[in-house]
Amino acid sequence: MMNRLLLLLFGASATVLMFGLWIPFKALVAQELLALAWAETQARQVEARPWPWADTWPVAKLALPELGVSMIVLEGLHGESLAFGPGRMVTGEQGPVILAGHRDTHFRPLEYIEPGHRVQLQGQDQQWQQYQVTGTRVVDSRTESIDTSTFGPDTLLLVTCYPFDALDANGPLRFVVEAKPVNRPVQKDTVAAL
Amino acid sequence: MLLSLLANPAVRADLYPQTTRTARPLINKRRWLRCAEGVSLWLAVLLMLFVHPLYAEASDRQAGQAEEAGQLYLVDSQGNRQQPALVLDSEFQVRVSGLLAETTLTREFRNTSDSWHEGIFVFPLPEQAAVFGLTMTVGERRIVGRIEPRARARETYEKAKSAGQHAATLEQQRPNLFTSRVANIPPGETVRVEVRYQQPVSYRHGEFELRLPTTLTPRYMPGELVVETATQWQSGWATATTQVPDAAEISPFTVRAADVDERSHRARIELAIDSGFPLAGVTSPSHSLVTETDGGRVVVRPEGREVLMDRDLIVRWRPLTGREPTAAVFHQQWQGEDFLMAMILPPDATGPVLRRELLFVIDTSGSMAGESIVQARSALLKGLDSLRPGDYFNVIQFNSQAHSLFARPVPAEGHYLARARQYVEGLNANGGTEMVGALSLAMAMEPAPAEGLVQQMVFITDGAVGNESALFERIRTGLGERRMFTVGIGSAPNMHFLREAARWGRGEFTAVHSAGEVNRALNGLFAAMEAPVMSDLGVRWPTGGNPVETVPARPGDLFQGSPLVQVVRGVPAGGELEVSGRLAGDRPWNIRLDLGSAAPASGLNRQWARGRIDELMDAARLQGEAPDEPAIVELSVQHGVMSPFTSFVAVEEQPARPAEATLDTEAVPTLLPAGSRDGMLRYPQTATAWPLLAALGLSGLMLALAMLLMNRRPA
Repeated sequence: MMNRLLLLLFGASATVLMFGLWIPFKALVAQELLALAWAETQARQVEARPWPWADTWPVAKLALPELGVSMIVLEGLHGESLAFGPGRMVTGEQGPVILAGHRDTHFRPLEYIEPGHRVQLQGQDQQWQQYQVTGTRVVDSRTESIDTSTFGPDTLLLVTCYPFDALDANGPLRFVVEAKPVNRPVQKDTVAAL
Repeated sequence: MLLSLLANPAVRADLYPQTTRTARPLINKRRWLRCAEGVSLWLAVLLMLFVHPLYAEASDRQAGQAEEAGQLYLVDSQGNRQQPALVLDSEFQVRVSGLLAETTLTREFRNTSDSWHEGIFVFPLPEQAAVFGLTMTVGERRIVGRIEPRARARETYEKAKSAGQHAATLEQQRPNLFTSRVANIPPGETVRVEVRYQQPVSYRHGEFELRLPTTLTPRYMPGELVVETATQWQSGWATATTQVPDAAEISPFTVRAADVDERSHRARIELAIDSGFPLAGVTSPSHSLVTETDGGRVVVRPEGREVLMDRDLIVRWRPLTGREPTAAVFHQQWQGEDFLMAMILPPDATGPVLRRELLFVIDTSGSMAGESIVQARSALLKGLDSLRPGDYFNVIQFNSQAHSLFARPVPAEGHYLARARQYVEGLNANGGTEMVGALSLAMAMEPAPAEGLVQQMVFITDGAVGNESALFERIRTGLGERRMFTVGIGSAPNMHFLREAARWGRGEFTAVHSAGEVNRALNGLFAAMEAPVMSDLGVRWPTGGNPVETVPARPGDLFQGSPLVQVVRGVPAGGELEVSGRLAGDRPWNIRLDLGSAAPASGLNRQWARGRIDELMDAARLQGEAPDEPAIVELSVQHGVMSPFTSFVAVEEQPARPAEATLDTEAVPTLLPAGSRDGMLRYPQTATAWPLLAALGLSGLMLALAMLLMNRRPA
């Protein structure tokens, strides 16, 4: 009897753990597939879907050199796409660039980001746009919205959940990183990127 | 993470032997025991690695980052973040009789938490409302509020609040924007605050209309930020600027309906219309209505038990064709004084066709995003259609900057019109609402190269700005010969701005509630813009030699379909009222009205007092001085009508809150107007459940292993 119970507990725990670990595993593997799709997007200048049934496609590559990470950014912010990579929020023509990602997978490194750090964003045209972090703050999503009119169209916002180590996935707090473009000759960076 | 991935198969591998252990020899058993011990040790280490930093860092962060964490927290007295505790219920009981509508607006603040609360709610009222009553009900006790000078009312309220007494106050921030505060709402209980106000019913183009605002479009605050320490009477999202020093008081947080309690921000509305003439029908562009006719009385309510407070309720009623009133007189005796209210509708008259120079100014600020900009664009296109050969026009759009399509007005000819249409269709809403820039651009624009043009401006906006007063001043001083007509857009426009801007601009205003309303609203406006129906108005009351005070003192020009409405004090209901003027085409016109047949009415004295207060405020603006505060306070207290310098306050004498209980303050948000997108984006959900699942899974495994070991040892 005891053994049955133990086995049940064991099995259930292992299953839960597997389900849990499946999420970061998916996030890791998806980025590899996305890297291929991104290369294709850039080469053929089309919206290449990473796998045939995907409802999203890569739109940019994000790099945080100080934190040593880079990742492919997807279009849209629905739960499905966020599982595979950070998403770009649709803000209209004039709004800032807003990227959001999961705090426990792709945007986990944001925990250590600091003002002054570089943020690089590569668009479909292969140009790297250089940004510099101007500040970070924590907001309550129940009482505050992103007012796109207060940011210039050249602002980059990275959004993730906060606190980074919380277990509750539905918490109201968000961590917002604001970055402004750095005026540097674009040519040089393109060469470097090539 | 990789470590745990590796650990996982190991755990699963040693799962099978356990099930068949009974048949195993002792050596085997010992080996398994050791193996299990090893695995559980590994798991323990992993768990430590995984769980420990969670707590260590979490506590670290709380200590280090508390200060810079978001600026918009509702924090209670212990520094904990606060869940919304107050549920708001509203009920509008409106009684329309004659030309006035009297409303009893009951707000219930229900405290769902287990601590004492103060509730703050910034809400709109109709722009011509005369507020004349505040009653607070706690349990069985009803406390009638009294009117006091603003500063003294605040003091009374603050004193009662800190003494633990039930108290409520109502303050005027703008003629259409009020703040109500309710102190010491007991945990789990409800405090009801009843506000009573009256407003004139609009009568234009043969139709009566009443507008009940329930929410407001978040306003733009122009000017530089003023850095100052927040006082306890501030509660909004905006901080004071050089041009809007009270920004914090007129900027309640705006949330979506889904963000408030599902019982909160709902209103029950009922209108009883006693018009005195048979009605052809009651309609509403904003809600679907349920109508019950009871003799000469019609009771109207929106369909469904409650409506969401996310848009203005507009109710219109029309007399049977041919029964439209063209004149009416009402009489009231109040404290031994006579008050009369007269309404006279001049006949429609068409004059010669004028050639016009028309400037269209369209608001493309962020608050117009969503449904509003669509309405504004179609209103402007409709305006372009109304141009005739010989007219000149230009289009100006403004948000943070103003931009005009052409350098100067151009003839209304095919080529220019086509360019304008294309320009208008491409307009998007974004950025700030710098109206002064737009007005200056329009006012400084070089006139059209033609003689004898009538200059007009059509201003299309939701009026969502905080610096109304400065704008009226700019309109008054800078407009010159030009007339300004305003078109309100959206489901909760700032009608105070639209009405007053048109008044100072000697024009008319209209409001578009939905895209389907554009034609209806603008046809009326464009008809009015053809020419004022009547100018040089003279109104002579039978004063018997005594000086009388009329409101408005000097009526402006009348536009097609709009009546003259005047209230007078000190004239008994007898004799004849004579009104004269010049109709379009320079024809003299006059009419005599027998005052002896005046119908009895109530509330005329309040209407008169509210009008007098407005006149005093206007006079101050005209002379560029501060308003005559003592005179306004005296009028306000005497007639029991609120003013910018007086507030209502109600205080229960017995303290209710025990001295040791703390009081939390909560600003109740307003709802985002329907159809408005506002450039405000919600933050996305950016966390997964995997840390939770992994932690659960790991601790389950740990527990299982521990149990296994315990099980083995005795054997």
